[in-house]
Amino acid sequence: MTQPLVDRHDVELAALAAAGGRREFGELVRRHGSAVRALLRRMGAQSSLADDIAQDAFIQAFQRCGEFRGEGTFAAWVKRIAARLYIKRVAKESRYVAEIETEDAAPVTDHAGLVDLDEALKALSEPERLCVSLCHGAGMAHPEIASALNLPLGTVKSHVKRGLDKLRARLQPEPAQSLGRTQHVG
Amino acid sequence: MSADEFDPFVERLFARTPAMPDAALFTARVEQRLQKGSRVRFLALSLAGLIGGAVAVRETMNVDIDLGARDGVVAGDALGQGIQSASLNIQSSVQYGLEQVGLANLELGSMGGMQLFWIAAGVLIVAAAAGVMKLSQEV
Repeated sequence: MTQPLVDRHDVELAALAAAGGRREFGELVRRHGSAVRALLRRMGAQSSLADDIAQDAFIQAFQRCGEFRGEGTFAAWVKRIAARLYIKRVAKESRYVAEIETEDAAPVTDHAGLVDLDEALKALSEPERLCVSLCHGAGMAHPEIASALNLPLGTVKSHVKRGLDKLRARLQPEPAQSLGRTQHVG
Repeated sequence: MSADEFDPFVERLFARTPAMPDAALFTARVEQRLQKGSRVRFLALSLAGLIGGAVAVRETMNVDIDLGARDGVVAGDALGQGIQSASLNIQSSVQYGLEQVGLANLELGSMGGMQLFWIAAGVLIVAAAAGVMKLSQEV
């Protein structure tokens, strides 16, 4: 009896997808689509652009599924593909050069008093937001980000540091309130 | 919260994704694009197989393709001439390519028509087999 797709591990589904299994790959998209889309939005992409790039990333992931060895999570692997596609787009438009001035604001929580990362990220300049998302969202190392963005390593480090400082100032989480109302897709 | 505590905290926030109401639609779109891409590949391979088959039949039988009715003979001749012209074009392109990589002495013109036919047929059979395998994996 065939095991239902929902019960299968990502690595197993990826192996089947590498052999041409579109249904198996569809299950992976169902599991991780929102995570990839959310990352792209957090990096600064508009919703429609984020969705287009996320689709491209999954198509590319399907074509390259044989390269996924299960060393990290499948979600992290696709996120990196998506991040690199977005960087290419950003580099083309030279958008990361433009700084967006933001004003200081009150700590960001949603109606339930929970930490809202998406709102807090709006306080960061575009390069800070991009670098922080690449580092903490896509799991890229500083030198990797510097190389991908064609920026000096020191600049990337300072973008990440300043971005985290701003996030810390805005999030100020209460331990009991943090990390609710979200779905882990790891 | 110290920096040592804050970095993992931010990573955990990034790892948690709000549920998106149109997640099913997104998945459907990706699946649709995958299916479309697969269909285009299948059609391209099928078309290549059909053209290859037509060339093979024509070369094997060494006759003009007769489309059935007498009126079709003109069309058959035209198709035959078209195929012949395409074959010559391909041959000259391949020859040019070989010259570019220093294999100009390998003259395809010196090969017999049947040799070229069998080489072309072999390539097309491999392409068609790959197409069938791909299709069988996807069904």
